[in-house]
Amino acid sequence: MTVSSADDVYDSSIKEVPVIGTIKAIYKRHGLLKLLVARDLTVRYKRSVIGIWWSLLNPLISSAVLYYVFNTVFKARMTGSTSFAPYLLSGMLISTFFNQGLTMAADAVAGGAGVLTKVYVPPPIFALSATISTAVNFFMGLIPLTIVVYASRQSLTLRAPAVLIVVLCMVLLTTGLGLLLSVIYIRFDDSRSLVQLILLLLTYMTPIFYPISVLGPHTRAVIELNPLTSFLNVFRDMFGRNAVATLGDWLYMSGTSVVLFLLGLYFFNRMWPKTVAML
Amino acid sequence: MTMPVVEVTDLSLAYRRTRHRVSSLKQVAIDSIKRKMAYEQFFALSGVSFTLERGEVLAVIGRNGAGKSTLLKTLARVLPPTKGRVIVRGHVAPMIELGAGFNPELTGAENVILYGSLLGRSPKEMVSRLGEIGEWADLIEHLDIPLRAYSSGMVARLAFATATDVTPDLLLIDEILSVGDADFREKSAARTASMISGGAAVVLVTHELETVRKLATRVIYLDHGKPVAAGAPDLVIDRYLADLHH
Repeated sequence: MTVSSADDVYDSSIKEVPVIGTIKAIYKRHGLLKLLVARDLTVRYKRSVIGIWWSLLNPLISSAVLYYVFNTVFKARMTGSTSFAPYLLSGMLISTFFNQGLTMAADAVAGGAGVLTKVYVPPPIFALSATISTAVNFFMGLIPLTIVVYASRQSLTLRAPAVLIVVLCMVLLTTGLGLLLSVIYIRFDDSRSLVQLILLLLTYMTPIFYPISVLGPHTRAVIELNPLTSFLNVFRDMFGRNAVATLGDWLYMSGTSVVLFLLGLYFFNRMWPKTVAML
Repeated sequence: MTMPVVEVTDLSLAYRRTRHRVSSLKQVAIDSIKRKMAYEQFFALSGVSFTLERGEVLAVIGRNGAGKSTLLKTLARVLPPTKGRVIVRGHVAPMIELGAGFNPELTGAENVILYGSLLGRSPKEMVSRLGEIGEWADLIEHLDIPLRAYSSGMVARLAFATATDVTPDLLLIDEILSVGDADFREKSAARTASMISGGAAVVLVTHELETVRKLATRVIYLDHGKPVAAGAPDLVIDRYLADLHH
């Protein structure tokens, strides 16, 4: 039953290469990663009557309310062939993906303490499983979005399959930031409410329900610094052409995602040994 | 030539901690304005060395806070050493607090597979062991229902059966677990004993000195993270008892 192989040796004096070492360690346990994703999805949906649609209730209802409130205000400001309903719903889906992925990744690591303080499991695996299961939610959301797109007399563009790249970038971004957040959650008991507040501000700084054209030049410059704005431009360009994605948007989206993922992982690995001692 | 399973050389583990445990951002903000953030180095372990071969049972004794559990965590690879070196060869199985990785919404079978995989075994291997684990825990007919329908005794039995299903190269025990009713306690005690004597290297942390006398081949006595005495069980235990009564 026992399998001892050469790579079953732990030598504390061998320092792992930052980041790459972690990615290798996660890959080695990809079977566990799959199980964790399956667990997240099962726990969330198996015993709920409306199943996987439960997670979409929030973005769908919020979209309906915002549509009712803002349709008359912003309808006139929608330019060219853009339409407010798909514009709004795609905004809500991306924003939900980001907020949910981030908080669930942080909670997964903080909540995995019982295991992480006793056995060796690469902790980022918990964050990654949370963001991957959030990505599954997002994919489900593409179904109502597609319906709304066609109901608004628009259609999917040929770029729509590239939504996979958007998802990959979002998984990287939320995993990296979620890891940083998990350390803050564990260290400071009162950090959650502050983080929620920051996330709320960030939500308003993302053009989810307002067209970016209603903003003045200075505000607009700030909003365009937000990586989520690039995510939205790219995503809205695919589903109904409700925004124009420039090459700059593609580069900014993938660049910030990869950089924040690497930075998040790097700082997490540095802080984790001290953090785990506090658990 | 067989290499020892564990080699620990001059192991030290230090925490940097604030004088008063700061656990809120508000406190950090106030303290840093008042320049009151005073840190101190705290050594949970210092200068610990030993090697352990297959078949040896090393017991670690000492008062609460002596660093016994911290030592287990460094061997389990959870805490990296501040100084010194730790080498562990082969599969490590911790006998951990039962059910740490269990989820009440998953079925017994799903939990066994997940728990075993968290403990470092492959999901495939766990699937093939499922029958045997369920059989041993006497829960084979309950494996398909969610864990929240289990009694606490049933959960403990399933966790114990999963955790002890493997014969590792290094077994880490933080207090010997006894679970379930009298019958199962006997059965689990027998299984623990056979695991300990089954050829693995064992590190055992416990406060029960009689157990140490019975099982250990060697004992280390830690005080404030420092090894005070090490060697034959009776000698080290007597030294510890003398200190306790002093």
